[in-house]
Amino acid sequence: MAKYSIFSLLRNAASHHQNWDRAWRDNRPKPDGYDVVIIGGGGHGLATAYYLAKEHGITNVAVIERSWLGGGNTGRNTTIIRSNYLWDESAALYEKSLQLYEGLSQELNYNIMFSQRGVLNLAHNLGDVREGMRRVNALRLNGVDSEWMTAEQVKEFCPIINISKDVRYPIMGGTLQRRAGTARHDAVAWGFARAASARGVDIIQNCEVTGIRRENGKVVGVDTSMGFVKAGKVGIVAAGHSSVVAGMADLRLPVESHPLQALVSEPVKPVIDCVVMSNTVHVYVSQSDKGELVMGAGIDAYTGYGQRGSFHVIEHQMGALLELFPIFSRLRMLRQWAGIVDVCPDASPIISKTPVDNLFINCGWGTGGFKATPGSGFVFAHTIARGEPHALNAPFGLERFNTGHLIDEHGAAAVAH
Amino acid sequence: MTASPMTSQKPADLVVIGAGPAGLAAAALAAGHGIRTLLLDEQPAPGGQIYRGVTRTPIGDPRVLGPDYRRGQDLVAAFESSGAKRVVGASVWSLTRDAEAGLEIGYSVAGAGTLIQAPRVILATGAMERPFPIPGWTLPGVMGAGAAQTLLKTSALVPDGPLVLAGTGPLLWLLAVQYVRAGVSIGAILDTTPRANWRAALPHMAGFVRSSYAIKGLKQLREARSKVRVISQVTGLRALGSDRIEAVAFRRGDGAEERMPAATLLLHQGVIPNPNLASAAGCAQDWNPDQLCWMPRTDVWNASTVDGVWIAGDGAGIGGAIAAEHQGRLAAVAALSAMGVLDGAGQDREAAPIRKALAGATRGRRFLDALYRPADQFRVPEDDTLVCRCEEVTAGQLREAVRLGCTGPNQTKTFLRCGMGPCQGRLCGTTVTELIAAERRVPASEVGHYRLRPPIKPITLAELAAVSKDDIPAVAAER
Repeated sequence: MAKYSIFSLLRNAASHHQNWDRAWRDNRPKPDGYDVVIIGGGGHGLATAYYLAKEHGITNVAVIERSWLGGGNTGRNTTIIRSNYLWDESAALYEKSLQLYEGLSQELNYNIMFSQRGVLNLAHNLGDVREGMRRVNALRLNGVDSEWMTAEQVKEFCPIINISKDVRYPIMGGTLQRRAGTARHDAVAWGFARAASARGVDIIQNCEVTGIRRENGKVVGVDTSMGFVKAGKVGIVAAGHSSVVAGMADLRLPVESHPLQALVSEPVKPVIDCVVMSNTVHVYVSQSDKGELVMGAGIDAYTGYGQRGSFHVIEHQMGALLELFPIFSRLRMLRQWAGIVDVCPDASPIISKTPVDNLFINCGWGTGGFKATPGSGFVFAHTIARGEPHALNAPFGLERFNTGHLIDEHGAAAVAH
Repeated sequence: MTASPMTSQKPADLVVIGAGPAGLAAAALAAGHGIRTLLLDEQPAPGGQIYRGVTRTPIGDPRVLGPDYRRGQDLVAAFESSGAKRVVGASVWSLTRDAEAGLEIGYSVAGAGTLIQAPRVILATGAMERPFPIPGWTLPGVMGAGAAQTLLKTSALVPDGPLVLAGTGPLLWLLAVQYVRAGVSIGAILDTTPRANWRAALPHMAGFVRSSYAIKGLKQLREARSKVRVISQVTGLRALGSDRIEAVAFRRGDGAEERMPAATLLLHQGVIPNPNLASAAGCAQDWNPDQLCWMPRTDVWNASTVDGVWIAGDGAGIGGAIAAEHQGRLAAVAALSAMGVLDGAGQDREAAPIRKALAGATRGRRFLDALYRPADQFRVPEDDTLVCRCEEVTAGQLREAVRLGCTGPNQTKTFLRCGMGPCQGRLCGTTVTELIAAERRVPASEVGHYRLRPPIKPITLAELAAVSKDDIPAVAAER
């Protein structure tokens, strides 16, 4: 892998940027198979492959993707990264991820455009205020930066916000995590793909997994549109389609798949330099580098695999958003889309071994998968390599739905599940 | 028909979108059978594109726009006496099918959004001009011939200064004749029809000669050629200028390079079905290798693959204004049958004369399709030509993305932001599909099209936040 630097930029400028190397190798499955096959070439799958190679020295790895890298939820989210989760288990996992993000551009030698612009969570009623203050305290005890802000401080931090009292959802304060922010979602997938490929991982695109082959209760490989691929271990990282893939191994998952909508406006000059989220009205908004306002809405109540949402969901939320930001009312909305989120009953993910030997699963991230990308890959790689979970993901096993040790993060998701 | 309690909440039993020939004919036929019919149209007056402004054009001399244009008046008159309701100035931005609620249409009138439920919908959203990507096509002063014709019909506006028409297809000649009759001087018509097209069209000559197009078309050609300099087999077309177009450069059939001054360049190479609403609604689309465009998949009754949605007129495949009218009626008959107004025998009886007329109206189309098939170089441009105007993505960048493994239009968004600007790929979609197909050496059908999603037209957040779900708002009701 040629290193990206100011010198490589200058050198390539001299040849009019016509001679850049491929960022990653485009492979076909090896006939001899792999030690590990990862199903799903989104951010989490690629990160898993990268950390398998880097942390555990397992490089005979393939990432198999049905379409193109980052074409699923990695390319459909609103790019928010934060770690302000209430419970100790979640705070530790997401904080690990945020810390990995902080050094990721350097580590991957790929600019993921991580911008720690601060994430503001608004409180609109007394319940929100109490919950917010409790969260600030809980986070500080876990060593995660967090601060409480009054309505006036919120206004100072984000001047275009409307803090008047005569609206349906008045702002009574908010919590702020200054280290939180956004990153370019495609770049995260591409950066991990490039770094993983450089360490010998095979990246196989446009290859659909059609079956998971087992012998004597043990996984031996996967059937794909490019034929059978032998594998010592298989990791499923298929986000919204996890249930479908797990079903190939007769595994039933405690997840439901819902459409989660987002929308984007026409580009405008910089107006908002932080991320604003509101749990009560179910909206979150930030401005992309291009200048578009990226807005997220709540999940649709019904389950479905259509990558589109319903207008009545956004309508309610946009009404509330315009009360918060009256300045946005004449902005034109260009595009609306949805990703399929897989949601667990406790709104926490599953990063786990499965009842099938050598089959591992990483799913159930609901609306919050993007922020967890590096951390998720880090602990999942550990789980696959050692056959046992890392301390950080031990609480997130499949067995918790039998033991009852649930991690209820409905509050932290910022979007009601 | 008595309305069930469910449908009484709905403003109509049949909603027709688009007031061109297909929409007007469909709405009139359905309302004539006593069905509560609602016609939604974006323009302030009915007529669609072909009969644009037919009831209120400021052009007094009927010779300018020709006798075909007046046919639109009869259609509008039939519609107005039919009892169908209409909402004018209604931009439809969404059509979705929900398992429980059925079909739901989102539209805006003067900045106020409305969502209505519709048991059945006929889409008559017509055609759009095929993109004509040449170097300099984004310069001010370069526009589509269809857009120029719209200005002529609705406002009697004509271009000023040296004017050049370039491209291929019947509309180019029609516009030239209309301009000549309106007293506009045309510098030249640059005919880009390749010579090889004549060979491909010849086998279809017999059908064409018996069609109504033949005499009309030849007359137009003769009139245009007698008054305007026509240069044939033009290739290598370029618009030149810095802040706006100043000249047109091209290669003549004999290979000689030529350049002529131009303040306005009107481009045209045929029309293609406007895929936006049908595709966003989930109707399956197929690539038509003869007409070189995406077409919604429809059956013999013009039913789409989405239950309760019919597609009639040029939006279902280019067939011209007269065929559109008959297709509209055919779709209406099918919708009436689906509502139980007509039984199977009644449906066939009603449809028989329409089908006969439709067969007559489509006669000669294959000849026109073959003759006016746009040249490869003007559909799949050279590297330095802009393809996506909004995000300024060139053909060269797209080819590079394909070499890097980009397999289809949706992936180009990730690589290049191609198709992510204000038009959301509505304009570049066909070009991007063909370009990727050519580069990958696979059929366009394998490459696919952009995913089109509602809103198919940009709407403001305020509109979205205040969408009304009541009956049609009073202000927007029929005019």
